[in-house]
Amino acid sequence: MSIVSVEHVSKDYMLGKTVVPALRDVSLAVGKGEFLSIAGPSGSGKTTLLNLVGCVDTPSAGRVIVAGQDTARLSERALTELRLRTIGFIFQSFNLVSVLSVFQNVEFPLLLQGGQTRKERAERVLALLDAVGIAEHARHRPSELSGGQRQRVAIARALVTRPALVLADEPTANLDSETGGNIIDLMKEMNRRDGTTFIFSTHDPKVMAHASALVRIEDGRISSREDLDAARRAGGR
Amino acid sequence: MLGVDLMIAGRNLARHTRRNLFLGGALAAVTALLVLLGALTAGMESAMMQSATTLMTGHVNVGGFFKITSGSAAPLVSQYPRVLEAVRAKVPELDYATVRGRGWAKAVSEHVSMDLVLAGVDVAHEPTFRKVLHVVDGDLEALAQPGTVLLFEGQAERLKLKVNDVLTLSAPTARGVNNTADVRVAAIARNVGLLSAFSAFIQADTLRELYGLSPATTGAIHLYLRDPRDAARVAARLRTALAEAGYRVMEPEAQPYWMKLMQTVPSEDWTGQKLDVTTADDEMGQFKQFILALRVVTGLLVVILMVVVVIGILNTLAIAIRERTREIGALRAIGMQRRKVLWLFVLETALLGLLGTAAGVAVALAVAGAVNAAGIALPEAVQVFLAQERLRFLLDPGAIAADALVLAAIAVAASVFPARRAARLKPVTAMHHVG
Ligand SMILES: Nc1ncnc2c1ncn2[C@@H]1O[C@H](COP(=O)(O)OP(=O)(O)O)[C@@H](O)[C@H]1O
Ligand SMILES: [Mg+2]
Repeated sequence: MSIVSVEHVSKDYMLGKTVVPALRDVSLAVGKGEFLSIAGPSGSGKTTLLNLVGCVDTPSAGRVIVAGQDTARLSERALTELRLRTIGFIFQSFNLVSVLSVFQNVEFPLLLQGGQTRKERAERVLALLDAVGIAEHARHRPSELSGGQRQRVAIARALVTRPALVLADEPTANLDSETGGNIIDLMKEMNRRDGTTFIFSTHDPKVMAHASALVRIEDGRISSREDLDAARRAGGR
Repeated sequence: MLGVDLMIAGRNLARHTRRNLFLGGALAAVTALLVLLGALTAGMESAMMQSATTLMTGHVNVGGFFKITSGSAAPLVSQYPRVLEAVRAKVPELDYATVRGRGWAKAVSEHVSMDLVLAGVDVAHEPTFRKVLHVVDGDLEALAQPGTVLLFEGQAERLKLKVNDVLTLSAPTARGVNNTADVRVAAIARNVGLLSAFSAFIQADTLRELYGLSPATTGAIHLYLRDPRDAARVAARLRTALAEAGYRVMEPEAQPYWMKLMQTVPSEDWTGQKLDVTTADDEMGQFKQFILALRVVTGLLVVILMVVVVIGILNTLAIAIRERTREIGALRAIGMQRRKVLWLFVLETALLGLLGTAAGVAVALAVAGAVNAAGIALPEAVQVFLAQERLRFLLDPGAIAADALVLAAIAVAASVFPARRAARLKPVTAMHHVG
């Protein structure tokens, strides 16, 4: 059963009067618990695809179904609710709220969701900060952290609501390769432990290697889909 | 959640200290100006009404007009002791009552003449007279003697008179002849604003003699109430009561008696005696209009300044929204609703508005307090105009709070438009924006 289903989706951008086709007739199904990497050169349409799946943009044609809901049929409010309760975002450039502490940044989605006591929230946030290894920075502001640390905060913020789906657009692009590797390991562990579905884009081959499945995208079209786990199993036999 | 919202709003304000200090300072300045001008106007009004309600009018007056022919009119209440008795019985709110003659005469000194509105007074029965009159030369008690007059400084100067000098009063009587009387200047008092420009006080019986009136006749009965705010109610009650007692009572009209004497009453088709019940507000209508005009000017000034502040708010928020586009987009992407974005920006401005106006009120209170305490004397010319010797601010907590809240509300209202624009930002646009 797939959590994301992209069906014959096209996306055109208007650049002045010229139409820029960013995605052309893309179809993709992502199953629950996958750790899917979208790979492709710069400008190939990775961000566009993630934006559509993340319900922050709408396709020019085709359907995007997330957690069983046809996103075209949802109101702006309902889409926001879907993002809040079902999806976690990890941005390439972190996008933390600069005036809030690390703890408050991670707590924020829980506050938006509502319905939890302060104690419940604190427990969840601290456990996650611990898991991503920045518990000792809980009271710091984002500006006091390194890039890797900020990306950990962003991961914690994306995971704190225990979303079914986490989207990460080049989460390691702004990090050195060692820190990037750590971040991928961290995401992978969350995926393994909680069964959270991850879809992340990258053009770094080392990062792709960790994926359970690899979708290659070129010039707005999906050129291949490899099941790396199956290949590993086959290779190990 | 509100705690975190306030924290975000407060810290975002603090992040751009300079421009927000500037904006908050501008708002504070407008608030301070509004509060101070309001307090100054209120101070003038209070000082003016205080001297006016002693010198020119009671809180409620029972005056009247006597017409021998329908084309003439004299400001008279005949058989006033009976009227006074009827009035006392109907006004339990009464503190005290005084009886004033009303008249108008040409004052002639050796070289000059001028028109004076005359009030006939019995100083022995004027309990608050000496509180509002500053006698600079002569003696107020001397005004008890027959044939005496009290002038204000400006009049004495114009007529070139000193205490104990004699001047001639020439008054047109109801019969169409001019009576004259020589009176001695018993005292000269300091000017009290516009009032003292045209009115003078004369011993009550001397005024009666000048007009050839009986001792039972006077111009008006001034009623002073324990609480002046009862005036309108008492006046209405008296009109009914006096009418029921058989007096002819005029319809209420908010004009000073001398306007009625000159304009409306002579053109009315009746003869004999009619009573006219008025309040201080009726008698001081023109001064009230002057105060109103002052308030309007203050209001216009504040409106103009607030336009500047509002432009500042629009500008500042536009900058803030541009700077935070990424952040807003990210928050929208992780599930913040539009109205929440709107709320955060409005809250930020509300906080700035409250801090700014509060600072403005604090400054205004400090300035007003210092000025009141210092007792700064006003220049002579201004004194006459303001009916005050010293600059005095009358601070009314209710009015100040209302001023501050209105200005803060305007600031908040101004923020709604840019905040809506921020709320409409598409989350994806926000993410594309690389800053
Ligand atoms: N907002 C936009 N307006 C116009 N063209 C855009 C916009 N966003 C992306 N594009 C174009 O769409 C194509 C795909 O972009 P994108 O999805 O960002 O690729 P990637 O993330 O793989 O680098 C590119 O050609 C890019 O220039
Ligand atoms: Mg991209």
